[in-house]
Amino acid sequence: MALEDYRSDMERCSQCSYCKWIPLDHIKSWRFAKGCPSIAYNNFNSYSARGRFAVALSLLNGESGYTERVRDIVFKCVTCGSCDVSDKICRYNLEPLEMMRELRFTLVEDGQVLPQHMRIIEHLREEDNMMLEPRASRGDWAEGLDVKHIISEPAEVLFYAGCRFSYDKALWPAIRGAVAILKKAGVDIGIMGRDESCCGVRAYDMGFKDEFTRFAQNAIEAWREAGVKTVVTSCADGFHAFMRLSPRLGEHFEVLHTVQYLDRLIKEGTIRFSKSVPMRVTYHDPCRLGRGGEPYVPWEGKEEKLKNQIVIYVPRKPRYNGAWGIYDPPREILKSIPGIELVEMERIREYSWCCGAGGGVREAYPEFSNWTATERVEEAKAIGAEAMVTACGWCERNFLDAIDAASEKMAVFDIIDLVQRAI
Amino acid sequence: MGDKKGDLIGIVGRGSVLEESEILEAYSRDQSFVLPMRPSLVVKPDNADEVEEIVKWANQTGTPLVPVSSGPPRFRGDTVPSATGVVIVDLSGMNRVISIDRRNRLTVIEPGVTYGQLQPQLAKEGLKLSSSLAPRANKSVIASLMEREPRMIPRGQWAFHDPLRCLELVLPDGQRMRTGDAGGLGELAKARKRHLVPVAASGPYQMDAYKLVSAAQGSMGIATWASVKCEVLPQVHKVFFVQSRKLEDLIDFVYKLLRFRFADELMILNGAGLASLLGDGPGEIKTLREELPLWVVVVGIAGRSILPEQRVAYQEQDISDIAQQFGLHFVAEIPGARNSDVSKALNNPSKEPYWKCAGKGGFQDIFFLATLNKTPGFLETLYSVADAHGYPASDIGIYLQPVHQGTGCHCEFILPYDPGNPREAAALRELFAEASQELLNRGGFFSRPYGIWAGLAYNRDAQSTIMLKKIKSIFDPNNVMNPGKLCF
Amino acid sequence: MALSRELYQVLEDIVGPENISDDPALLDSYRYPLTHTAIHLGPFYRKYTPRGAAVLLPGSTEEVQAIVKVCNKHMIKFKASSTFWSAMGYPSYDNTIQLDMRRMDKILEIDEKNMFAVIEPYAIGAVLQAEAMKKGLNCHIHGSGSSCSLLASATSFVGPGPDGLFLGLANENMLGIEWVMPNGEVVRTGSLGSGLGWFCGEGPGPGIRSIIRGFQGAMGSMGVFTKIAIKLHPWPGPSQLPVEGIPPAYRTTLPDNFRVYTLAFKTWQGWSDGCHMIWDAGIGYIAHRQFNMFGRDLKGAMIKILTDPTKTLSDMEELLKDPKVQKMTEAMQRDFQIVLAGMTQRDIEWQDKALDKILAETGGYKVEEMNEPEIRDWALLYLIRLGHKNLNLVYGGGYDGCFGMVGPPDFGASHIEEVSDFKREWEKKGAIVTAGGDCTMGGIGFMGGGGLTMWENFTHFDPADRESTEGTYEFFDASYKYGVKHSLGYSLERLMSFARGADGMATSDEEKERWLAGAPQAFMFQYQRKIKELLDPNDLGDQTYRWLKPPKKKKGQDRF
Repeated sequence: MALEDYRSDMERCSQCSYCKWIPLDHIKSWRFAKGCPSIAYNNFNSYSARGRFAVALSLLNGESGYTERVRDIVFKCVTCGSCDVSDKICRYNLEPLEMMRELRFTLVEDGQVLPQHMRIIEHLREEDNMMLEPRASRGDWAEGLDVKHIISEPAEVLFYAGCRFSYDKALWPAIRGAVAILKKAGVDIGIMGRDESCCGVRAYDMGFKDEFTRFAQNAIEAWREAGVKTVVTSCADGFHAFMRLSPRLGEHFEVLHTVQYLDRLIKEGTIRFSKSVPMRVTYHDPCRLGRGGEPYVPWEGKEEKLKNQIVIYVPRKPRYNGAWGIYDPPREILKSIPGIELVEMERIREYSWCCGAGGGVREAYPEFSNWTATERVEEAKAIGAEAMVTACGWCERNFLDAIDAASEKMAVFDIIDLVQRAI
Repeated sequence: MGDKKGDLIGIVGRGSVLEESEILEAYSRDQSFVLPMRPSLVVKPDNADEVEEIVKWANQTGTPLVPVSSGPPRFRGDTVPSATGVVIVDLSGMNRVISIDRRNRLTVIEPGVTYGQLQPQLAKEGLKLSSSLAPRANKSVIASLMEREPRMIPRGQWAFHDPLRCLELVLPDGQRMRTGDAGGLGELAKARKRHLVPVAASGPYQMDAYKLVSAAQGSMGIATWASVKCEVLPQVHKVFFVQSRKLEDLIDFVYKLLRFRFADELMILNGAGLASLLGDGPGEIKTLREELPLWVVVVGIAGRSILPEQRVAYQEQDISDIAQQFGLHFVAEIPGARNSDVSKALNNPSKEPYWKCAGKGGFQDIFFLATLNKTPGFLETLYSVADAHGYPASDIGIYLQPVHQGTGCHCEFILPYDPGNPREAAALRELFAEASQELLNRGGFFSRPYGIWAGLAYNRDAQSTIMLKKIKSIFDPNNVMNPGKLCF
Repeated sequence: MALSRELYQVLEDIVGPENISDDPALLDSYRYPLTHTAIHLGPFYRKYTPRGAAVLLPGSTEEVQAIVKVCNKHMIKFKASSTFWSAMGYPSYDNTIQLDMRRMDKILEIDEKNMFAVIEPYAIGAVLQAEAMKKGLNCHIHGSGSSCSLLASATSFVGPGPDGLFLGLANENMLGIEWVMPNGEVVRTGSLGSGLGWFCGEGPGPGIRSIIRGFQGAMGSMGVFTKIAIKLHPWPGPSQLPVEGIPPAYRTTLPDNFRVYTLAFKTWQGWSDGCHMIWDAGIGYIAHRQFNMFGRDLKGAMIKILTDPTKTLSDMEELLKDPKVQKMTEAMQRDFQIVLAGMTQRDIEWQDKALDKILAETGGYKVEEMNEPEIRDWALLYLIRLGHKNLNLVYGGGYDGCFGMVGPPDFGASHIEEVSDFKREWEKKGAIVTAGGDCTMGGIGFMGGGGLTMWENFTHFDPADRESTEGTYEFFDASYKYGVKHSLGYSLERLMSFARGADGMATSDEEKERWLAGAPQAFMFQYQRKIKELLDPNDLGDQTYRWLKPPKKKKGQDRF
């Protein structure tokens, strides 16, 4: 696709501003009504999906050019997809998230790159990770863990750690725990350790499509060679990459998030809880696991018109409006842990508020990223939660940093952490 | 004067121009404390064309006009001239009920149509006007609505000015116009055949012209007809009461009824007020004051054209339940008053003499808008001032009428007195002035600023005053309409 | 033309550097395509409102006032908008400063007892409704839905909506108002002006309320409204709407004191009688002919699509062949939706019986298919929260309404078939969606207590398609002429043509005169001119506030 291919979307945008809010039906209060962090923080209309449609059209029509402001507009978006969900309550035939990604690709192709992103991408090219860390230490998290390394010892299920979990020591217990639990449950699981490389999705989000393609293809090749059938990950970003983006390149693996696997195992009785974890928690839906976690549906087709002017797609186009994301497994897990009291924030499931880490925002706009996370922490506080539980390393890190910056008292757990406590 | 008289005769005919002394005297004053001033002439137009001609003439000659629609006695001071050389435009002769439309529940009436005249005619067509409380039978319905007299049925008042809809006006500069959607209708009867009626009050265009003349005391134009939204005539109508010794005990109950939008007529009266309403003469009023409860919520429930009995029955039960929640009793009878008498008072114009005058021959009332929850505070203020002036609190009639579906409350304090007693009148004048000021200080909003209230109200709102004067200058460049009223 | 740096600095000093921009691309996100929602002119293919000189985000009345004063000093036009949905809120002159009221989004107060809320411009309907429901109250949400500014609708446009029957018209709900006038003065109306609170919008005496708006407001052309008090209404439901379902098929199941029906009638006479009897009985919380906007022939299929999360528009063709859908569509031909809300159990039971009696007497019935629980609960949520209003544009991305036929039900009912036939013929030409000719949508009541119905005939087109857009323009020209010829009244498709032309710019005086001079009581525009001269002496508003130049003086006429 090219940006020009989205011209009709830009011209058909309803101008309704639904993209700025969570689905209006779900608004429960003034305080937590907003869905789009970008416009909530920046306020100008251009910082919404609607606004970016207009900016993109202006650029396409040559009515404006690249400026610092334009870069700000384009890159100050967490690509969380909230706009997509809200838009598609009514307008099935618009793809704001896809358009915004295309807009980024266009800017990057035209050399309009943020130096903060460039630094990361250059490192990625050298060291295969988004964390500005050496490749060599990628596998350190698994030290002492009794688990197969699939390069040397094939396994049916690959546990993919992801860049954040691999290098963020504070988060290692979650992935170490995931591997240990799955292995103990009899899953034939392996890892790639230092041979693992980035899934590429964060580069994709920053506008570097080619980087993503390269890393995705590398991963696909490595997995194929290792005989991997199923990929399990605790990283929502990775989940989205493998579930939704990689298949566009033609290869299909079964992709599961750890929570899906665990949920299955708990329901089968393979995993049982013997300890109580008395805690009032709330679950934060990671964007890429929730609304971004819908299964990929291959599609190639065209636009046609029905009844003169009703825009349809032949064959039927998948809608990707968050309807079929992964929301219930993590909740089922938490509800099955003795002692846990699960309370819901106002913005959940497909209309969850983003943690602020995505879209290259954490890297380039730390203040905005922190603000977004802080908003979420406030939302958790508002319902009296003692802890936020989630299923994505990026979310966890962003919340931890925000809580630390504000000296707040709120615990953050990966869901695995609580599962481990209960086993 | 001869020229002016001749001009006016040329417009309305000799018999409709009056200059006899006793007639002029009658228009020179009313029962308010507003200083009397004699008009120069009285003219009685018969139709809108004549009104238009009169107003144009007034502009040409620089003659101030004061429109009057209701018959005497009048009480507000708004029809008493405040300038010299006034010509009274007495519209009471324009008393046609132009149409009654049951389907659209609209009546179109001229300014001289009174409550006494209209309600029976509406009843024949299965309609009823939401009325103010026991208006004089000769009170002009249009005047009552234009002056924003409170209605007894708050649930029916979506717009503050309900049930007033459209007006045909002669603006102060002589331009005839229609407000609301009436402007595009042409001849009303022909429009009706096309199923179009003057029912939407707003407009035309980007002005709510009917608000221009609302509570304007005739200073912003003369209405030559109005369309008024009516209620369906109840087939069943019952009146109930809730009583208490303290006003405070009733407030939340009334709020609850407003919240549920239950009841039709809904108001609070104190014993003195209810006594004045019901009593026949000073003696009976005095007796009733002693027998009646100190405070009464009067609740009317109507069943109209669809399942009327059932509506009344279920609301009766529900409201009774609500009353119980507040430790109150919802009853059909109260000591001192027959249900039928109260019902009659609600459903008819006042008997003669006007009920507020029945106690002592005269009265002054102080009324303003507030919110219901603040009313006890106003009572406290009034009683304090009354006490300081030696006016017996037990004489004060109090009428609290929720308006605009409960967003506000019309607070009315009725102070009977003997106008024939100069000392009493003088004392009351002082009490009236001080109480008005104190009530304003306490937060009372004198939204209908008659007499001295104009100074109080406009001094409080400099910005609106400036704006209003400018607006007046647009529509009344020659300042012919009731000059000296409001802030003009 | 860019603002001078000096002027930019002056404005930046008012709002802060993060709240002002004159970046061209950013400014282009503040231009409105003239193919879109309810702009009531055009549509004009690939035409936009002009680019502003700068966009500012004021955060307070003081900032707004300071900006307006600067504009007066430098003779720069300005235009404020809240949610920027529809061309009326956009400039029609070059070098206009745009005020985005987004930062002023607070609900300052909810007075539970006296049932009103005080809000800023960007407090949208959904947000106020959510907060009001916590206190057992609700707010009127006007027809463009709960993503819109309640303040803007009440002060500056029209404001009818599905709930108007019970919750009134936007205009009826306005209480105290705080207004930065075009000359930079701040005025507060009613009781607020006297420092006595927000509860009363009128007075003292006539007050200044009469010039703030009429049937329509000034659409941003006369200063900036910075706060209003808005009347609230009873809500006998839960303090939070329980919403469930898979998007987009959200639904709500409310307690037993709620009902939602689609009523239909065998004849238009019956339909009209039904409206009157419902008003006479005083029942109904929401009453609207809502789903007919999808088209008489298509609404059954659309409802199936919207209530099934697996379905999209691509399923329409198949659904239209489904006999059950056909039956439903046929049954709904002369329909409208109604929500009953009982304050108590007895209340709802009586309302239900009253409705049954009305239906029996008018040949009406409840459409069975709309009573299926998932559809019923979807419809209930849809109508209460009104959060799906960009479904107006779901077909091709563009819509505007024609006709309007605002009047008592008999008026619209007597013309509906002829206007449907007219539109059906035009649908055949290809530019607009063939939906059955009748895509009329509108309130049953329009104002509190009822009295009017509205019949906005939705015309669906594709704004990205030149032929569709231009064909729609032709249709609207024809429908407008038809409406004038047949005296069908208030005509939506050219309602704003007096203010803006095909190039997105303000009309010339001559063009404006052509549109306005023949209007009923055109002399009112002279008074409006004088009001404008009073309040906007430097002419900083645009043409959305109607006025005409003084007429040539006739002998003896000094009026204007």
